[in-house]
Amino acid sequence: MSNEVKPLLTIDGLCFDFSGQAQANEKPGNQILNQVSLTVRKGEIVCILGASGCGKTTLLNLIAGLLTPSKGSIELNSQKPTKRLGYIFQSDALFPWRTVKDNLLLAADIDGSLDKKTLEQSMLQYLSMFHLSEQILTKYPIQLSGGMRQRVSIIQSLMFDPELLLLDEPFSALDYYTKLKLESEFSQFVKERGTAAILVTHDIEEAVAIGNRALIMNAGTLQKEFLIRSEAAVMERGTSDFAEKYREIWSELKSVVGEIQ
Amino acid sequence: MTKSNSKSKIFELLLYPLPLLAFVVVWYFATQGSQERQFTFSSPEKVLEAFLRLVQSGELLQNCKVTILEALSGFLLGTASGAIIGLSLWYSSLVAKIAKPYITALATVPIFALAPIVISWFGIDIYSKIALAFLSTVTVAIVQSYQGAMAVEPRFLRLMHVLGASRWQIFRLVVVPSSLIWVLNAMKLNIGLALLGAFIGEFISAEQGLGFMIVKASGLYDMATVFVGVIALIVIALLLTSLVDQLERYLMKWKTQ
Repeated sequence: MSNEVKPLLTIDGLCFDFSGQAQANEKPGNQILNQVSLTVRKGEIVCILGASGCGKTTLLNLIAGLLTPSKGSIELNSQKPTKRLGYIFQSDALFPWRTVKDNLLLAADIDGSLDKKTLEQSMLQYLSMFHLSEQILTKYPIQLSGGMRQRVSIIQSLMFDPELLLLDEPFSALDYYTKLKLESEFSQFVKERGTAAILVTHDIEEAVAIGNRALIMNAGTLQKEFLIRSEAAVMERGTSDFAEKYREIWSELKSVVGEIQ
Repeated sequence: MTKSNSKSKIFELLLYPLPLLAFVVVWYFATQGSQERQFTFSSPEKVLEAFLRLVQSGELLQNCKVTILEALSGFLLGTASGAIIGLSLWYSSLVAKIAKPYITALATVPIFALAPIVISWFGIDIYSKIALAFLSTVTVAIVQSYQGAMAVEPRFLRLMHVLGASRWQIFRLVVVPSSLIWVLNAMKLNIGLALLGAFIGEFISAEQGLGFMIVKASGLYDMATVFVGVIALIVIALLLTSLVDQLERYLMKWKTQ
């Protein structure tokens, strides 16, 4: 990957333990992340793979500003990240008491300076991009399928037009075919908009299919990086390229999981 | 499918009055032919007679009006202020911690014990009954609302933090609407408690209201009037409950879609 383009996100020597977190339930001094350094460029999907509890979600929470690092720095466009990043969780965070439209226009309730008409236009564009009908706007989240809810969640996080998207296993609760469809739509979106994404996942197949790079995380450190492809595009499952990358990552991940056991 | 559904609905509606009818029939036959039993337990026809007499004289309606006014005022004041206090406690865990023993103390004192104090402060008219209905309901509303505010799903709070929402926006857009079901539950519990508060006030010292009517009638061994008073209280409670149910259906319409 070329280093000529200035990174969008630069993480340098990031460490985290729960000693400074007043609200955390963890024991103080428990080192969760240790000397994590990472750069993400525009248009890139960076996948982070690792066993449960290795610090993947903590890394996302630190980038999102939900936690404060004990050491190291995080810079977005050479500045401290604003809180308005897109964060998509494993299960949707749609408010059940608001209609889909009101959920999507949450941004206008939070930031009064945003023009509601412009937001509504973006909302309609995103709906068509993620193959959702306008008819769902008057429905409540409870009336939608899991796949539709997750699509709406993704759109909700895009309404602030974030430069960086953080995704914490967003497709893991979906059925296989919905997952494939959503992966493809998401990858297409990143390619078209030139935004960047960090995707935390347990699924190597998913990482190979849509990631540009895959990073293996173990016990709070990034252990190995794999270059998958330089452009955002879905890699077709079943091809020899796909199988080769899958095997490469799997053998590394297996050795890490083996060490943990 | 629709036809059989509506049939079963009609059948269900017909079943509703059956237990009540059975009770009235048993009551009627158990009290027939015995003056002593009729004196102790009254009887359905005597209760009907007393009901008609009290309606014609306007006494029942007037007493119902007073009790409804007292209970409803106390209920609205207690539930609204309790909900505001309970939800606001979400803002500060320190204030919530300090407030907890005081709320527990207020919640555990029997309202009967407070009644003489309240009556001596507010007098024997309607205000003391409103105050007692208020005291009966406010703690339930505080506890329920606070629990609701603390039970907000963490993913909603995380989303709001990521979107850069202020604490006030989190409170207004997430904490209040997601606690609504708890506030509505407090309202349901508080209907009975508000009537109890108003009734206790009337029971101890009053010149009007259903409590006063029941106390006066029991002093005269007029069991039929006592029964009319009790039935009127039940009907008021059911009406108020159905109003809260309607409000719940309106506010929680997203649940029934």
